[in-house]
Formats: sequence, C-alpha cells, structure tokens
Amino acid sequence: MDAFYASVEQRDDPALRGRPVVVAWKGARSVVCAASYEARTFGIRSAMPAVRAERLCPEALFVPPNFTRYRAVARQVRAIFRAHTPLVEPLSLDEAYLDVTDHLGRFPSATAVAVAIRARIRDELQLTASAGVAPNKFLAKIASDVNKPDGLCVVKPKDIDAFLLPLPVARLPGVGKVMNDRLAALGVRTVAELRRLDAGALDARFGRWGRRLSALAHGIDDHPVNPDRPRRSISAEDTFAEDLPQHQLAPHIQRMAEKTWAAAETHGWRGRTVVLKLKTADFRILTRSITPASPPTCADDLRRLALGLLARVGPPADTRYRLVGVGLEGRLAPAEAAPGRQASLFLAAAE
Amino acid sequence: MKITTNRNDLLAALNQVIGVVERRQTLPILSNLLAEVHEAELKLTGTDLEIEMETSIDVQNLEPGKTTLPARKLFDLCRGLPESAAIELNVSGDRATLRSGRSRYTLACLSADDFSSLDTGELSQQIELPASELLKLIQRTQFAMAQQDVRFYLNGMLLQLRPGTLNVVTTDGHRLALARYEMPDEPSSDQSADLIIPRKAILELARLLGQVDGNVVLHFSQGQIRVQVDRLRLTSKLIDGRFPEYERVIPQHSDKHLVLDRERLRQALARCSIFSNDKFKGVRLTLGNGTLTLQSNNPEHEEAEEVLDVDYQGEALEIGFNVVYLLDALTTMPGQNITLSLRNADSSGLMTTSEEPTLRYVVMPMRL
Repeated sequence: MDAFYASVEQRDDPALRGRPVVVAWKGARSVVCAASYEARTFGIRSAMPAVRAERLCPEALFVPPNFTRYRAVARQVRAIFRAHTPLVEPLSLDEAYLDVTDHLGRFPSATAVAVAIRARIRDELQLTASAGVAPNKFLAKIASDVNKPDGLCVVKPKDIDAFLLPLPVARLPGVGKVMNDRLAALGVRTVAELRRLDAGALDARFGRWGRRLSALAHGIDDHPVNPDRPRRSISAEDTFAEDLPQHQLAPHIQRMAEKTWAAAETHGWRGRTVVLKLKTADFRILTRSITPASPPTCADDLRRLALGLLARVGPPADTRYRLVGVGLEGRLAPAEAAPGRQASLFLAAAE
Repeated sequence: MKITTNRNDLLAALNQVIGVVERRQTLPILSNLLAEVHEAELKLTGTDLEIEMETSIDVQNLEPGKTTLPARKLFDLCRGLPESAAIELNVSGDRATLRSGRSRYTLACLSADDFSSLDTGELSQQIELPASELLKLIQRTQFAMAQQDVRFYLNGMLLQLRPGTLNVVTTDGHRLALARYEMPDEPSSDQSADLIIPRKAILELARLLGQVDGNVVLHFSQGQIRVQVDRLRLTSKLIDGRFPEYERVIPQHSDKHLVLDRERLRQALARCSIFSNDKFKGVRLTLGNGTLTLQSNNPEHEEAEEVLDVDYQGEALEIGFNVVYLLDALTTMPGQNITLSLRNADSSGLMTTSEEPTLRYVVMPMRL
C-alpha cells in the first residue's frame, strides 16, 4: 500500500487531499509513522523525528495515528488478496507476499492477477497499491518499490539480469548499513559486482549468509510464500517524553513487561527468552537477554526478569535513556509451556 | 608506578583474582584489575561489582602508584612467558609497559580513580570453622543452587547459623540439598544469622578453601561477607532476600524406605538417562515386592528398563523424577548405601545416608 496510513487519512478527510500530510503524534519526541507523497517531496520520511518533519515543511498537516482504523483497512486489503490465493504471507500491516503460481483462476498470468488486485483496491477501498511481479519473493519485493506510488513492475525470468545487476547491493534484503560497508570494503557496490565475487570467498567471509548473498546476486531465492509464518517474538517499547537516567527506568520497564505479557496472552504465546532493549540519548541501542531455566509463566515473572536485566546494563551512571522495550523470544511449544509436569517444592504463596 | 617481579609470582597472583573478572563486560573498567604499589607490595583487585577478590605479592618497588590493567591480557601474557622470567612493569599515564628479557608489551590502562571497590564498612560478626568442613558443606550442596532464577534469592547458598549448628541449604525450587555442621561448644558459636551467598561467590570460595589447612574465618554483616586466606581476600555482597522455609519441605511422613547400593543405582539411572526425553529427563520408578524398576523412554519410542532388587514388601508405587536431579544427589553423596524414602506419587522423595546422617536431599516428583 502506498503511504498507507497517510493515504487512509487523506481518503477519509477531503481537507487533507493533495496536501502534505504527516501521521505522527504531536510532541518533541514523536516519530513520523507515515508521510503522504506530497509531504515526501519536502524530504519527510517515516521514522524521522516529527520535529524535523515540521522543520522541513512547516505547512504540513499533522494527524495523530489511528491504528485501529488502519488495521481495519488492512483486513479489507487482505480479504482481497485471499480472494485470489490462500498463499498470502503478510510482511507488515500493509505489505504481503502472494503466491499465485497455482491460483491464477480465470487470469492468464500473474501480471493479470496483480492488475486485478490493484483495480479492486482502488475501486473498493479508494486507495492505491504498488505491486511487483517476479518469479520469487525477493525480486517481487524489490520490484514492488520500483514504480511507487500506484505502480506495477514485472520482472520476467528472462529479464532478471537486466533488472537485478545494475541495482546497488543495499537493495538486497538483509543488506543493511553494516553489510553494505563491509561489501563496499571489498569494492562491491552493485549486484553485478557482487555476482563477480567468488561464491567460495563469500562463504568463507560471511558463512551461511554469504551463500545466501551469492544466491541473491544470481536472482535465486527459493523461500516459499508461507501463509502461516510463526511469530518469532512479542515485544513492546516506548520512547519517553524526556531522556531518563537509569534509576528512573524501572516503572517504564514494568509497564512494558505488562504490555508484552498481555500481548503474549492474547496470542496464546509463550517465550523462553526475555529481552530488555534500551536506547541511549545518543541513539545507541543496548540489549540484554536472559533464558532462565524455567520460562516466565506470568506477568510478574516477566517483570522481575526484565528488571533483573536492567541491573546487567551497568554504568556509567550519567547515561540517559530515551526508550525502553521488553520482549519475549524463542517460542515455546504448548507442551513445554504447560506448567506442572515438574512439581515444585514451594507453593507460590510460600515465595 | 614501576616494579620488578617475576612471571611465576605475578601469574600466581593473577590466577587468584582472574576468576571474578567476567569475560564479557559492559563497563570497560570491570575488565581491568586495580594494581596498587605500596612499600614492597603489589596489590591486585578484581571485581564484578558483586564480588571482589584482592591479593598481593612482594615486588621490588621502584616507584609507588596505582592504575588499572587489562586483566585477561595480562593473565594470558604471563601464562605465555617462560617460567621464572623476570618482569619489569612501568606505568606512565594511560600506558603500561611490561618488559621481559628482550620482549616489550604495551597495555592500555584506565584510571584507578574509576575503579569501584566494594564498600566493606564494618563487618562486625564472624564464624570460624575448619576450612575442610566448610568446603565439604559447599561440595555437598552447591549443585542444587538455582541459576538465573527469577526468585533471585535461590541463585545462591543459604548459610543458616544457629547456636551450635551451621546449616547449608540450596534449592532451585524443584530439589533441595541440606548439609549440617555441628559447631564445637564455643561462646562465638552462640549466634544466629541467615546469609545467602551468591552463586559465583560460592564457586570462588570453594576454589579458595581448597588451598587452606586449618581454620577459616567468615566475617559478615547484614549485606556482605568476607574471607581472608593468607594474602587473598574475597568480599561478596549477600543476596538481599528471604530464603524459603526449607524445613517445611523436608518430608516427614515417608513410609516406604529403600536401602540401595549407591553406585549401582547411580549407574542404572545414568544408563536410563540416555533414553529419557531430552527436555524433561523423566525416569519412572516402579516399586513392587522385592524390586525397584527404572524405566525411561523418549519421543522416538526408544526405551530403557532396569530392575534392581530391594528389601521391600508392601504397597506398590509408581513415581516419576527428573533423572538429573537423582543423579546429581547420588554423585555427591558419600557412603556405600543410601536410603530413598517415598510416600506417594505426588510427594517428594528424600535421600539420606548413614555415612552423614544430617545430609538431606529432597526431590520433587514429575508427572510422566
């Protein structure tokens, strides 16, 4: 979906149409959730501090996010996807992979399916979506970004090299800033240059990930579209109104632990590893994790474990923090999550 | 600061304090040792903010001073130097230069002012007992300490001091170990205190006690404990929490008592453990007239069955345990025979031995 949250706002409020719209809470610390294409011409991007967005475009219209409404629209979008194929793998609220290989229905090609889906989204929801059509997931994802907004990009098997080779390596999934720098150190900037590297050398340098990188450089990706990809983690985080010293973090960690536990409960999800995430005032991210012998079984366990991790963060005492998050990882199978196999010496009341 | 010494002396000192320095550090200075030269002595201190280890060696003092040195690097370097190599250590600003023969190494120092020592304050109470006895108490019980448990007070060992006795208790909530030392009749033994010593301090303490002949003195206060052996001093924070009332979970009403050859039972259980579920490690004990049958199986439907003869006539019983808990206790217990006391499938099992009648191992059952 193109500028999803901003587009939903513009659709529902005619006064916002054709104008720079920024979806963000008002506040010194808030971050842009979405920016309309009009706002993007001013250089505003999502995840940018709202203050900076305001400076870039003082006349932008700021709208507080309404996630309940976005989720409802996302459900409508997914219903349209599912009308075409059961193989829908959501990537985020407004993005998904669809495998239509065996589900073309009355359409002659995958491209025709993409055209039909985009038309339905436009007609039924008055929103625009961009699509990439390709023989595999990673090419489709890159292609979907090519003609944004309201665009369609088709990469046929015979056109893969022409499409892929000129791209900068940073466009490949998994190549972030660090990897990009490491590749640049090897003189690799484009996919073509990456392909020229010896697969063995990539393997030796980056291991399993090197082999994957080498496959991507050749346009190969056999990850299937997985409609029920299991959730890997559950977490909650919050940015404070002002930076806080370490000794004031405890109540916020407790709050996030409770939120995370509530979310885990809703999904019937249990994890074995507890992760505490902190972001310092200068945007360094610290994480501490613990995998206790007996996984947390209640909100109080999670709270205590997360607070215990805080003690492991250590000084310097003058460090200030702008964000805390508490997460659960390492899904437990229901049988392991079920307590009571091993009896306890002490009843909860005695502790 | 400038000293000369030799590799063996320095390595011996480093060896005593290095254990407390964590390999992975969030705070750079915690990877360093505090080094202080005063008169003819080099004092080395390591800490993880919970435990502090301090030792000293005689050196030739060419210039007093203090700094902090990277512990692991210095240790690895000394280990790698030839035995009895002469060493000159010269600290100037934030650089330490170590010379030995024709070799020269430069290490980065951090200021001694940034090193945080545990504030020992006044440690007003003390107990004294033979080091070998304290070591035995630790060895008998340390395996049952919890590790990284949310109930932080279980991640350590309880030293329960009562007039005339010292009880040492560990539990991870599923099993419990209790060992007791009867104190000789002395005025100083007439005191009461409950100290929970953190897991890591116990491991260091055990290492230290192995080197002591004769008595050891534990100095303690509300929040700290300290042991000094020759020139080595261990100080640890105590865990600030209430240990569970362990007496209540030691079974009193077991009516089925099995006397078993400790080593035979241990070996049979060890074989069964190969076939138990990797996660739950369950083993089923079936008690019948004259026999005790051990069984285990795993999700691949592989099985083990062992039958031991026992002198038992009475009600049959089937009960499950985590085989690791049984093995830990059996490996630790002294003596030829042990007594396993049971009541029913939901009640804990108790293991004792006539060799040390005050020793108690309690294991909660597992539903299989």
